[in-house]
Amino acid sequence: MMKSAASTSAPGRSYPLAGSRVRISFTFSRHVVPYLYLTPALLAIIMFVYLPLARTLYLSFHQGNLLNPTRSFVGLDNYTQLLNSPVFHRILLQSAHYMIFSLIGSVLIPISLALLTLHLTDKELDFYQSALFLPTVIAFNVVVLIWAFFFLATPNGLFNRLIALLDQPPQSWLRDPSFALPSIALIANWKIMGFHFLLAVAGLKAIPKEILEAAYVDGAHGWTLMRRIVLPLFAPTGLFLVTVTLIGSLDAVFTPIRVLTEGGPNNATNNLMYAIYSEGFRFFRVGQASAMSVLLILLFGSAIYMQYRLLDRWVTYER
Amino acid sequence: MSVESPRTRWFSRVVLNFAVLLVLLPLIYMVGNSLKPAGRTFENVFLPFTSTITFENYRNVLETVPMFRYLWNSVLFSFGVAIGQLCLAVPAAFAFSYYEFPLKKTLLAAVVLSLMVPFVVTYVPNYLFLARYRLLNTTPGLVLPMLGISLGFGIFLLRQHFMSFPKEILEAAMIDGAGSWQILARVVTPANVSAVSALFIYILINTWNQFIWPLLIGGGRQEAYTLTVGVQMYFINPEAGNRWGAIMAASVLAAFPTVIIYLFMRKGVLRTFTEGAIKG
Repeated sequence: MMKSAASTSAPGRSYPLAGSRVRISFTFSRHVVPYLYLTPALLAIIMFVYLPLARTLYLSFHQGNLLNPTRSFVGLDNYTQLLNSPVFHRILLQSAHYMIFSLIGSVLIPISLALLTLHLTDKELDFYQSALFLPTVIAFNVVVLIWAFFFLATPNGLFNRLIALLDQPPQSWLRDPSFALPSIALIANWKIMGFHFLLAVAGLKAIPKEILEAAYVDGAHGWTLMRRIVLPLFAPTGLFLVTVTLIGSLDAVFTPIRVLTEGGPNNATNNLMYAIYSEGFRFFRVGQASAMSVLLILLFGSAIYMQYRLLDRWVTYER
Repeated sequence: MSVESPRTRWFSRVVLNFAVLLVLLPLIYMVGNSLKPAGRTFENVFLPFTSTITFENYRNVLETVPMFRYLWNSVLFSFGVAIGQLCLAVPAAFAFSYYEFPLKKTLLAAVVLSLMVPFVVTYVPNYLFLARYRLLNTTPGLVLPMLGISLGFGIFLLRQHFMSFPKEILEAAMIDGAGSWQILARVVTPANVSAVSALFIYILINTWNQFIWPLLIGGGRQEAYTLTVGVQMYFINPEAGNRWGAIMAASVLAAFPTVIIYLFMRKGVLRTFTEGAIKG
């Protein structure tokens, strides 16, 4: 659209309104105006996203204290230390644990629930969406406190009373290395589940009704209809949810970890994102925190890139 | 589709109702425990409510914690980010939608990529920046970086809406002699008012619910606490001890504003979050 508009005027000189036959009359303005509109926003993004990123890269080659401006150049030391540290390996492994829990709680369960809504009226669907979405709009650290109450280590905590009914001894859930990580993951997925249910339903609604009805008339029922028609058409939404979940899973557990365990006991609930925070703001080791940030960005960057490549191919095959 | 058997439909309803119950139970316990008389929290821990309902926990919290100060800080923080977002994102989305200019693709890519950067990565450098300019524990210190981080989302979302706006109307306005600023302020923005206000609500709720960032930047001085930070500080305050009723009352008070917005604008919020996630 733009090309046809530009070709009628002197090429390379003017930048008219895209797809428009009318030009802004003042030559100066058509070059400068878009930048005037953009500058404030771009400045804010550069100041608080891109410069900090550059600074993170710079700091990752240095050693320093958060509260003290003197720093010394240490080359790749922060990286080699991290890659050789058993604690860091553990943190990476646990990040993967969190992701697996999220794939169940924030992908598998919401998609399954969404598939159940195929038979419901719009009114019912609206009720389920609204109710399940409620935790999304409440500040996370505030609702985490009720979970702190459920997970109380004392015998009269709610979960301990619950397992007492099965004659089990009370557990100190969040201080027990084998229970702490799943407990944190449970809280995070409780919060996210309804939001992803909403997204899954939106993806399902985007499947044209005619296709479903035609398939039904052709004799595809129940499980066959689901497997042959619904799930293939739903696949792009599913892949989208998987990516969003994998990228968001560490972010989702951040607040419960901060409020309830601070990464403990003995790093049992720590992960790559929380470790960046605690290195920086509990141990003030700026260099280590920055090196971890760089590794996190490389990891996520390649994951996002791969998803786009995959989605691109998938969608072109479909249409 | 009402093509499935009634049995399948009933199965769906049972499973979905169970899910709703599991999701809402913690919230019910939160409200219930805040209404239990002090000292009776554990009387029957399975029951969310006791036979007597009391507001003493709320009175207690409001008397000992400056909740209204925190509330005001949360208002400044979230409205600051949301209004700032509109002031910067609307013009930027306008430029990206209707103008051609050198570097457009590069700049747009930079805007979209800024969304992919995890917030946690920017904590340390932004903290150092704010510390150097003595902006820790101030409202601008809270607002500005948060604004920069969330802007990419608003620009991208609004651009999608602006792009689908009919060009003929813009041309007509230009023929009538409207300058680009007038087109932005009088034509494009009013025509997209639902998208703009949806973005506003989305940013408002998201910012209101922020916890780690205001804890880092505003956690150093009680006068700068937002509601979320204030509740956390009350929770870890040894004087609050095991007074779960009071802690739950503080939680309910902090959750109240966004829940009210949600209940009144449910359809809009649901649509915004769906659109935001899929387009963002």
